[in-house]
Amino acid sequence: MVSQKITVTNEQGMHMRPATLFCQAMTPFSSSVKVNFNGTSFDGKSVMMLMAACIKCGSEIEIECDGPDEADALKKAIELVESGLGD
Amino acid sequence: MVKGIAASRGIGIGSICVIAEHELTFEKKKIEDTEAEKKRFNDAIEAFKEETTKQADDIRKRIGPKEAEILEGHLVMISDPTMAGEMTKMIEAGQCAEAAVEAVCDMFIGMFSKMDDEMMRQRASDISDVKVSMLKLLLGIKDVEISKVAKGTILVAKDLTPSMTSQIDKDNVVGIITEIGGKTSHSAILARALEIPAVLSVPDVTTLVKDKDTAIVDGTEGIVYLNPEGDVLSQYIIKREDFIRKQSELKGFLGKETVTSDGAKVELFCNIGTPKDAKKAVECDGEGIGLFRSEFLFMDNNHLPSEEEQFAAYKEAAVTMGGKPVIIRTLDIGGDKDIPYLNMKKEDNPFLGYRAVRYCLGNKDAYMIQLRAMVRASAFGKIKIMVPLVTCVDELREVKKMVAEIKKDFDANNIDYDKDIEVGCMMETPAASLIADILAKEADFFSIGTNDLTQYTMSVDRGNADVAYLYSTFQPSVLRSIKHIIECGIKAGIPVGMCGEAAADPLMIPLLISFGLTEYSVNPVLVLTARCIISKWSKEEADALAQIVMSLDTESEIVAALKAASKE
Repeated sequence: MVSQKITVTNEQGMHMRPATLFCQAMTPFSSSVKVNFNGTSFDGKSVMMLMAACIKCGSEIEIECDGPDEADALKKAIELVESGLGD
Repeated sequence: MVKGIAASRGIGIGSICVIAEHELTFEKKKIEDTEAEKKRFNDAIEAFKEETTKQADDIRKRIGPKEAEILEGHLVMISDPTMAGEMTKMIEAGQCAEAAVEAVCDMFIGMFSKMDDEMMRQRASDISDVKVSMLKLLLGIKDVEISKVAKGTILVAKDLTPSMTSQIDKDNVVGIITEIGGKTSHSAILARALEIPAVLSVPDVTTLVKDKDTAIVDGTEGIVYLNPEGDVLSQYIIKREDFIRKQSELKGFLGKETVTSDGAKVELFCNIGTPKDAKKAVECDGEGIGLFRSEFLFMDNNHLPSEEEQFAAYKEAAVTMGGKPVIIRTLDIGGDKDIPYLNMKKEDNPFLGYRAVRYCLGNKDAYMIQLRAMVRASAFGKIKIMVPLVTCVDELREVKKMVAEIKKDFDANNIDYDKDIEVGCMMETPAASLIADILAKEADFFSIGTNDLTQYTMSVDRGNADVAYLYSTFQPSVLRSIKHIIECGIKAGIPVGMCGEAAADPLMIPLLISFGLTEYSVNPVLVLTARCIISKWSKEEADALAQIVMSLDTESEIVAALKAASKE
């Protein structure tokens, strides 16, 4: 299992479009992807759960990947959040 | 006559078609053959995806990619592992598909509708749409085929879902009335994109009307007439023709230069409040930004915005305008605009107090940050600095000194900026008007702010109903002041613009043409209207009218003379 903390910097936070982009990128990985925020763990492959988490611009989240391709999944996830999730 | 929210402009007259709401009731039965039920559920999902993809494609082609996103969002939702996963789990536990869809959707609707975020609450209505479509598929309920309604139909519905809107044929549907929805709801956005008049939030309208009733939808005023009387109907037929004629006339001005009828070119800019509005200015065919109010950066914040934050906002506007001028007004607070974290003192006369450039020059550290951000952003477009509420030339000189210091510092540190960045003066006080000749020697441009100029010239608080009758830009005193400012600018060889509401006033425009105004800055939605009015006047005609008007004694005589000469 690997994990890393990161701050969400895109203006909208985890709204429909950024969440969709994130999930679409995570779904091909066979590892599980979790987004931990505010003491709760959300499925990083579910747009609905990511939106339900109410992650705003400036929120610090922890991304946790577990599985055979966990390192690649985490790298991709961090890259995406850092790049502003297409905003 | 019933009232609602004016959501999409224009007038529609036609015959009503009510889109009935179906009762989506079902019996919650225990399922024995869960595999068969799962298949029924998955078939419904596949049918939903197929239908929605088709509708999204259709909207993308007919309206645009942004509008299609709503339906693409529905596809993402139904394909979501949590959404579909939870539903499947419930079916496996013996619930029927309908119950599973309803329970899971209702859970998410409850979750999203409680969020303190308008965009997220909007998602709750999306999930509700998905739920209704899925239940209809499972229950085998078919809707009215909106795509097949007759010519001249006015659609009446409780709410217009995006999937319904996608089926609308613009040639057949002449109006839309709904019981719910506001100016920013999906149905309003789509109605505007399709240019179909719409009035939303008309209480109980689906029960007030029946199919084939005649109705008038006035989407400009937000009024609906049901089975109108003959004279109302004939009035509205004329109104509709007027509207259509005007719209097509205005469209003819898209992409054109702004010129008077005798070929003199003027600049037509936009007033904006946020960098995002610059996109709107471009869409509305504005030729630049004549007033970018910088206050939003300070008001929507809980701290003084840093140089980086301000730089990003100014740069965004400059880049969006692609080299066209962007005139940014430096912080104009005080008066009626308070910013809590600055702890400004309560004043007896805030409009005569510590506001705008006075406050900024008294808090130079903060002002320096703003000016630096502006000068830095000038490397990315044509930024101009405008100083508000100037009353004496010292203020303007002081600001220019600060800008010169910044330039020196940038040169020393190799920071890019526009070496010719202009510093102009907002002309909005009687004092500035009276010394316009002196200010013109220091300023690179003038911009007349008619709202404050009127208020200060007439010594009238326009918020005070007892004296508001005196608040008029057509008062002879205000007109003389405007004329004087423009003349001083012309004499000194600097451009003079106007960024108050008066710049788009059809009665004011001929006077401004006569006085020699070179730049008009208006609300983005008024760009084409202003361009159209300007095109109707020649300098000679405007001069003749101005000569008469400027010799009149009272505001009412002036307005009457301008109205009589109006080319509207």
